[in-house]
Amino acid sequence: MIPVLGLLAGLAVGLFLDPSVPVWLQPYLPIAVIAALDAVFGAIRAILDGIFNDKVFVVSFLSNVVVAAFIVFLGDQLGVGAQLSTGVVVVLGVRIFSNVASIRRHLFKA
Amino acid sequence: MTLLTTMMERPLDAGYQEAADRRAAAGLPPATSTRTVLVVVLAILAGFLFAVAAQSLRPKPTAAVAVKKVLVTRIETLQKHGSDQEARVAALGKQVRDLEALALQQSGGPDLTAQIKDLEVQAAAVPLKGPGVTLTVDDAASTVADGTAGSRPSSGFEDGRVTSADLQIIVNGLWGSGAEAISINGHRLSSTAAIRFAGQAIIVDFRPLSRPYVITALGDPQGIQQLFEPSFAGLYLSQLTDQYKIRSVMAGADSLTVPGDSSARLEVAQPIGPTVGSTAPAPPALRSGSSTPQGSGGASSTPTGTSSSSRLTPSAPASSAAQGTGSPASPTSQENPS
Repeated sequence: MIPVLGLLAGLAVGLFLDPSVPVWLQPYLPIAVIAALDAVFGAIRAILDGIFNDKVFVVSFLSNVVVAAFIVFLGDQLGVGAQLSTGVVVVLGVRIFSNVASIRRHLFKA
Repeated sequence: MTLLTTMMERPLDAGYQEAADRRAAAGLPPATSTRTVLVVVLAILAGFLFAVAAQSLRPKPTAAVAVKKVLVTRIETLQKHGSDQEARVAALGKQVRDLEALALQQSGGPDLTAQIKDLEVQAAAVPLKGPGVTLTVDDAASTVADGTAGSRPSSGFEDGRVTSADLQIIVNGLWGSGAEAISINGHRLSSTAAIRFAGQAIIVDFRPLSRPYVITALGDPQGIQQLFEPSFAGLYLSQLTDQYKIRSVMAGADSLTVPGDSSARLEVAQPIGPTVGSTAPAPPALRSGSSTPQGSGGASSTPTGTSSSSRLTPSAPASSAAQGTGSPASPTSQENPS
């Protein structure tokens, strides 16, 4: 429950402060958000599976975000940024759906 | 397929299972608490990231819409102001002409009324009424979606859009077909008026036009139509219709009006009839207006003779209308309505 409150607090702070993101960082934001979502849903599933580990969560979260941003950066340098972004979104999207399906099975037994 | 299977079957990070196994081997419960500082900090960070991303990536239309609204209001206000002023200029111009005629009568000089009227008609300074044709030209119906039309050479315009060059050719064709006075969307074409483009807008005499373009040409309706259609401009127009679906309708009418050019002003003045008592004043030469603007009328010379009147002749600087219209043919059958 406390992490959920933390998430809400973070949302509130972000909405309230409304910081301006530097332009060079903006292309990486969407993909970083997808990666973060993947890590968060993975953590929720791990909690329900009874195998949650805070260090693994932190490391997977940070590495997900950094690697996703790096892939976009690399794609931009190679001229295939859109394609690589699509690939990252597809892979992470599939993972998010699978994890959410597992969470659903845990919660609703269906 | 291994990649897909791994992705589909085992979406959970393998690290969780390994860490749980290690903890179980060490005799600890497999899951750690979710209330550690690390998790809470990361949760706040994740929430912050989501909020910031949503805020910065969402387009913010409100400010732009408000600014646009203000600009539209200002444009409309200024346009109304401009047309009011134009009407006032026209009214004052008429007053000036009336006073001129009066002064001329009272001066007792030779009767120049007919000559002045003739010159005013040629200089497009007065509104005219008479038979003529209206030619309505409009963009193609599907200007945006018209993908079948070929690309037009040497233009950044969309296919199917009427360009200033089209209007120039059409108007020149109308002059050539015997039109004696032409106005486009209520803007009289004097000999100095130019048809230009600015961006995608067509500018006539420095005033932007919006479609459809209604070209009113005074003259013999039959003659104009007969001469225009087989002329180069007529063929050009029918080509535009065939290839780019630009719409055009030509119709004759018995009574049409063209307004006077409110921006007409005096540029060159010279006295006529330097010898007092000359019964037949020499016709004033229409000078090419490449002369420098001499204070727009303030430079009119004072009468040299005692009783002979100074004639002010509106100039016809055809040379400055580089891409504009040709000089109109001398009007013969027009009547001045007022």
